[in-house]
Formats: sequence, C-alpha cells, structure tokens
Amino acid sequence: MKLLEIEGLVTELGGRPEWFRAVDGISLAVQRGETCCLVGESGSGKSVTALSAMRLLPAGRHRHPAGSIRLWAGDAKQVPVDLLTASEAELARIRGARIAMIFQEPMTSLNPVLSIGEQMDEVLLLHRPGMEPAEREARIVAALEEVRIPEAKRRLRDYPHRLSGGQRQRVMIAMALVCEPELLIADEPTTALDVTVQAGILRLMREIQERRGMGMLFITHDFGVVSRIADTVGVMRQGQLVESGPAGELLARPRHEYTQALIAALPERLPRALRPAVGGAPLVEVSELAVHFPVRRGLLRRVVDQFRAVDGVSLTVRPGEVVALVGESGCGKTTLGRALLRLLDPTAGRISLEGRDITALPRQQMRGLRRRMQVVFQDPGSSLNPRLPILTTLLEPMRVHGIGADDEERRQRAAQLLERVEMPTDSLWRYPHEFSGGQRQRLAIARALVLEPRFVLCDEVTSALDVSVQAGILKLLRRLVDEQQLGMLFITHNMGVVEYLADRMAVMRDGRIVEAGPTARVLGAPEHEYTRALLAAVPRLQA
Amino acid sequence: MTDQAGSTRSQPWSRQVLSAVLARSSARLGLAWIGLLVLVAVFAPFIASSHPLWLVSDGVASSPVLAHLAPLDIAWLAGFLLAVALALLRLRLWVVLAAWAGGVALTGVLALSLVSPPALVIHEQYRELAAAGAVQRVIHAPIPYSAKDYLRDYGDTGVEPPLAADGRRHWLGTEENGADVAARMIHAARIALGIGFIATGIALVIGTVIGGLMGWFSGVVDIIGMRVVEIFEAIPTLFLLLTFVAFFGRSIYMMMVIIGITSWSGYARYVRAEFLKLREQDFVQAAVACGLPLRSILFRHMLPNGMAPLLVAASFGVASAILAEATLSFLGLGLVDDPSWGQMLNQAVQSSTFNWWLAVFPGGAIFLTVFAYNLVGEALRDAVDPNTRDTQGRQR
Repeated sequence: MKLLEIEGLVTELGGRPEWFRAVDGISLAVQRGETCCLVGESGSGKSVTALSAMRLLPAGRHRHPAGSIRLWAGDAKQVPVDLLTASEAELARIRGARIAMIFQEPMTSLNPVLSIGEQMDEVLLLHRPGMEPAEREARIVAALEEVRIPEAKRRLRDYPHRLSGGQRQRVMIAMALVCEPELLIADEPTTALDVTVQAGILRLMREIQERRGMGMLFITHDFGVVSRIADTVGVMRQGQLVESGPAGELLARPRHEYTQALIAALPERLPRALRPAVGGAPLVEVSELAVHFPVRRGLLRRVVDQFRAVDGVSLTVRPGEVVALVGESGCGKTTLGRALLRLLDPTAGRISLEGRDITALPRQQMRGLRRRMQVVFQDPGSSLNPRLPILTTLLEPMRVHGIGADDEERRQRAAQLLERVEMPTDSLWRYPHEFSGGQRQRLAIARALVLEPRFVLCDEVTSALDVSVQAGILKLLRRLVDEQQLGMLFITHNMGVVEYLADRMAVMRDGRIVEAGPTARVLGAPEHEYTRALLAAVPRLQA
Repeated sequence: MTDQAGSTRSQPWSRQVLSAVLARSSARLGLAWIGLLVLVAVFAPFIASSHPLWLVSDGVASSPVLAHLAPLDIAWLAGFLLAVALALLRLRLWVVLAAWAGGVALTGVLALSLVSPPALVIHEQYRELAAAGAVQRVIHAPIPYSAKDYLRDYGDTGVEPPLAADGRRHWLGTEENGADVAARMIHAARIALGIGFIATGIALVIGTVIGGLMGWFSGVVDIIGMRVVEIFEAIPTLFLLLTFVAFFGRSIYMMMVIIGITSWSGYARYVRAEFLKLREQDFVQAAVACGLPLRSILFRHMLPNGMAPLLVAASFGVASAILAEATLSFLGLGLVDDPSWGQMLNQAVQSSTFNWWLAVFPGGAIFLTVFAYNLVGEALRDAVDPNTRDTQGRQR
C-alpha cells in the first residue's frame, strides 16, 4: 500500500541570484512496511530530497519548480496530502506525528539543556494534547524500552551528555517513534557510529519497522548498509535517480554503469595485485608503548587516576609493507599514532626508527629525524594551512631540511611530486579551499612525501571521502608503497580498506592490541572473540 | 564532493576579505572618512596655516610654509609618501611594515637634526606686511590661520560664532583664545589618528605575544598569563591616566603608551583562544611533524589563521582609544596648547554661554571617526565570519 509518493520532484537551492538544481526530477514511492534506500555520493541530492519531503529547507532559499510529494492516509479512499503545497499549520500536524525524521549526527541532534524525558514529552504534548501526564510518561518509557535503553525509567531525567553516541541515536529513534509515525525518514543515521553500534541500530530499526508496518526512507552512502536494510533502492547522482528497483536484484545485477562503477569502487572489490612477501630490517619498531593521561580532580588538581589511552602496544612496520591498525572510536589508535611520531610524549615503552631509539630524543635532535617519518591526517578540511598557497606548503619543509639547492629546484621537485600524486602542476599556485576533499588528501600526501620519508602514518585518510574518491587514494597509496618501499601504518575502522591495502593488520581495543597477523589470516580466520564480533558487525555487500 | 578542480583561480585570503569588506557600502563610507582624515592630518600645514604658501614681498619670493615645517610635519609627510610607495610595490607584509617603520624613524631623526624652523613664530607678520603694502603676490592656504594663531593683532578677540567677525572669515567660528576652530580641528586630526593607531598598535603587539605564548605552551604559562591578564583588566585606564598626568605632566606619547599597555588583555584572550584551537588542527600538527621551527609554526601557520578576530577587535580598539583621549581632554587633562577635539568640547561649556559651534563640530568629528571605525570593524567581522560569508569556497 502506497505511503509516500514523490513524483518528478525538482528542488532548486540558492536564489542569490542564480538557482542551483539540487534535485532534478526524482520519482519514487515508499510503501507501508517497506524500506526504501536512497544511495549516492555526497552532493547527489539525497538529503535535499528528504528535507524537501519534510519541508525543512530554508525559507526563501529554495523552490520547487515542478513535482509533487504526496502522503497517503491509511485508507485508500482519502485524498492524499501534497506536502509541497500544504500550509504550515497542516505541516505542524504532520511532522512528528505522521512523518518523523532522524538525523546523522547524534551528538548535536538532541537539545543539551533539556533532559531526554522532557524532549520526548514535548513531542507528545504537541501531537497528543488529550493525554494525561502519567500516560505520556508510560508511553515514553515504553518507547525507550523499545529501543533498548537500559533502565529507561531512570534515564528520563538524564541529559544528552550522559549518553554515548549509540544511545543518543537510540533516543532519537525513540523520540521519532513516540507518536507512532507512518513514515520514518532517516538521513545517514548510523554514519557517525562505530560498526558494532551500527549493526545494533540497524537491527533495531528493521525490527521496529516490521512490528509496526511503518514505511521508511533511509538515506545512506554505504552499500553494505543498503544490503542489510533495504527492500527497494534508488541510486542518485547529481540530483537524478539513475537506477531504482528491488534491493536484491539491483545490488546483485546493477544495470546502470554508474551503479556498477560505485559497487566496483568498494575497497574490498578493488583488484589486488599479488605482492611478494616483505622482509628486511624493521623500519619502525614499537615495544610495550604506553600513553597515559592523568585524571585530575579536586581543588589542588591531584592526579587521582590514569586514563590508559595506549597500554602496552608492540608492533613493527617493515619497508614496503602496509600495516593496518583497526579499532573502534576511542580505542587509542590515533593516540598511538601521535605518540609514535613523537607529537605526544609516551609514558612508557620504546619507539625505534630504523634501529635508532627515538623515545626520549630531545626536540632539537628529533627535528632532524622528522623527515624520515611523515603523517597524513583524516580531515581534508583542516590538513592544509588555508592561508598558504600549495607551493609554500610544499616548499617550506624542504627549505628547513635543506633539500634542493635553491627555491627553483625545490619548486621543480614539488611539481614532480604533484604529478606523482596525480594532481595538475598548476595546483602549486592555488589555495587549499579551491580543492575538493579527495584532492586535498592527495595534496596532504604530497606534503608528507616531499621530505622523502621512509615511514608514513595515515590516520583515517579516506574516511571522510566518497567511495570512488577513496578508491583513487587507496590505489595511489599502494602504488607509492610498492614503488618506493615505504613503510606505512594505516589507521582505519573500515575493514574493506584493510582488505585492499594492508599486508598485515592489528586489531586494537581499549588501548591494547587484541590480535595481529597477516590480513588474509585475521580477516579469514579471526582468533580473538572481539575481532570476530567486529567482523560480523561490518555490513558487507555479498559478492 | 567530486574529485574535480575548481575552474576559477582564487585569491589569497587577505584579498578576499578586503573585497568582502569593500563590497559593503557602510564600510566604504567608513574607510572614506578615515582616508579623508588621513589626508587632512598629513597635509594639515598646507590646508590651515597663517604662513602663506607663496609670498613675494619686496621682490623676494619665498614659501613661508615650507620654512616653518616642523620635524613632526615632515615625519607625517614622509610616512604618508612611504606608505603610498610601498603599497604600489607589492612586497610581503612584514617587509612593508619594517620598511615603513624604518623609513619613518629615519626621516624623523633626520628632520629633528637637520630641520630647524624659527623658534619664535610670529603669525601676524604676514597680515602686517600686507597692511603695510609690502606684498606683491601672495597665495594663502585654504584656511589662512594656524592652529595656534590667536589673532593678537585684532585686539582682544575671543569666542565668536561662525562668520560673525568683521574682516575675517572663520567658517566654524573661533574658540576662547581667538584661534580659528576649523584650523584647530584640522590639526587635531593628527592626535585622533595617532593615538588610535599607536595605542592600538602597542596593545596588539603585547596582546599577540602574550596570548600566543599562553595558547601555544598552555599549562603553567597559561595559568600565569591569565592571572596577568586579569590584573591588567582590573586597572582603570582613566584613573591611571589621571595619576600619570598629575605626576609627570601632560604628554600625548605617555597617553598613547598608557592606553596601549592597559588595553592589550582583550587581544591576548582572543589570540590565546585561537591558538588553543589551532594547535590541535591537523595542519599545525603536520607542520610539527615536518620538523618546522617553532618560529615558523607560530608566525606562519598559526598567527595568520588566528588574525581574524584580532583585526575586528583592533578596529573597535582604535575607536575606544580615540574616545579615551577625548574624554581626558574634555576633563581638561589633555594637552596644554596643542589642539584636540575633546579639549574644544570642553571649551564649549566653560564660558557662561553655551557655544554650540564648539560642541557641534569637534563633537561631530569625534562621532564620525568613532562611527567610521565601528563600521569598518562591523564589516570586517562579517567578512571573516564563515557563518555569514562563504570563505571556504564551493564545498560547504
């Protein structure tokens, strides 16, 4: 039975003065009791489609030159509501009551100054004015229990900061469900969460939907998630729906070449060359490394406890190999990386670079060694100095370390390096904001390589990027490692990336490495129970 | 996010901010007024002077204005010409600043040692010469009165409303000693500009250094630094100025320094907050990982990125420094003989009648100047704020 029907929707944004067409003639339908997934890369218009249906786009900054979005009532005889032309008063009755929405970022989608009980109560107060306070509370507790918040009754008075990211997202779902909506719109609800938490949330949403017969419009960029939750799929690209159909069929046999390209760009599906076994002396060796942060309390800031971010980690990286460090957020993998580069002082343990102990090297001596080990960070938005042109960013480290005789020679080296990372040479004169995320990551890689390091640390370098862009960066990294016999420690939470890129991998949890070994062995036959749980939680598209 | 290059080539951030500021008509208006003030301040001796620009007397041609130029006048002129020349040369910012400061200091010293205008200035001599019929040709300045020309030759002159005197033309009237108000206001523009820029400059330098150290080193340095900031915030600037005036006499330079060293705390807080934030940014961490020296990390990678709130605060700071000087002068504790807008305001209420022209014109000048700086500050704030302007390009 039809619930939501989008027909020929066109959404244009901007209007200052020119309009930008974000959604360009989309038609799709969400049936009762079904999940429709919208997949696409960033900027494809999937979120704008959802916001158009909720009429949440900024007033005066958007328009709909064509199309309709109709919401059908329970019995087919009633006339459907056209959401695009509905009045504000009508919309206020529909939003929250008949259509509910969940957003991506659990950290900011709850009001931090209201307790979760108050926030949920407000929704009920608005849409079910006849209800008694006791009845409302019972209903809220029931909703929280439905999303498996432990001790729901006690939690009502808790403020959002006391909940973890996964719990907040559960509260968001409970809040969306409390008025028993017919349609749930979820905009990347699990993207900000760890895989194990994501697996739980997805299972929960699927269950609730089946139990209640809700329709769901689920927006995601992850084909693994699609395969877990979708009944029907629509693939979006530049505001248009390039392909749609039942999930099983579309994922197994995509017809449109864009869908095929997207699925082929999934890191676990990238073709891998056979690599010879690496040998040689270890490039970087870490033994029993620990980083503890003191927990201070009281008036005198006495140290009452130590937070063990990294707690006795040993690993080695040899030239020409990529070692992946895998773990969920907060497991200490980034802290380990920073300590390894001596950006942070380790509490105990030993770090050696090419056989030389650098654990306690004074800053002045360390500066000379910095060129041997380099780093690429996660966020393409902040990894390059926005006030300097690329040329200066690349030239300055060379000048400091005395690479190249004069600036002209250094400039030529910088230009050559840009070619190696597959960037046009005229990028040298541009500023970081002129580049897309993927390009900025390539430039950050160029900055790391400009000093001819032997070891490169990559901290989640592709997690902010679209799959097709990610595929390009991964291929580049692997080529650089193979050609120059670099050693690379690749920090990530994405198992597909590990599978493509890494020779060996280590799984980290609560500051310790629980399992390490060759990638194929760990992924194929995990020994530790946590590794098994982690791998099971990763949503994968079956080949 | 698509993996394509932007087609248009963009400009450095400073240029972007400048064009965003200039796009607002209010800021253009503010800058125009400040520019006018600068011109008036620089060329004050040529605009308002009792000394004729050109004088042929008894067959001898001379330029009394040039002969009476004081070292300070020459320093102002040199500063202006140097600034124009350096702006056309398109050098790096710190080169420009260093060249300008060095050039002005050098001309100042040279002028002090070489130029010696007559110690005794007799303003009336040209009028007496003209009355005696000894002048063949004369070109006067647009306002033919100096700031300190008290028109003694006209007898006991005093407060006169605009255009009220016989035989003389005082567009904005005269003040209690008989000097021309327009001439005094033109010369007072120097004080307003000078105190604003120098006091704010001193505060900016101190605030940036201390704030930067607090933000970068944090920990103990931060704790001690914040206490120093709090101590300086507790000092009442006006009362400190009064005390110093009482003990050491009146000096414009002392006022600049005192306003400067009591108002840096706000800038230090801004810089500290920006540095604390920037220190964790990936590009700063990458700079550390590249082994760049601390000097480069602080001044090349962090400071330019933390400048935005500082610039905004500084433009408001200039306005408040001008107000502080005006307040002090109004209270009668400003400069003794040199003209200042605040001092003229004081004269408006001192005599038994209310002399409106002494209130309206200097008061209007103070208002317009402070307002102009606030307009520029407002425009700067909007230009550097990513929430009101899309400085990050097309992606967000």
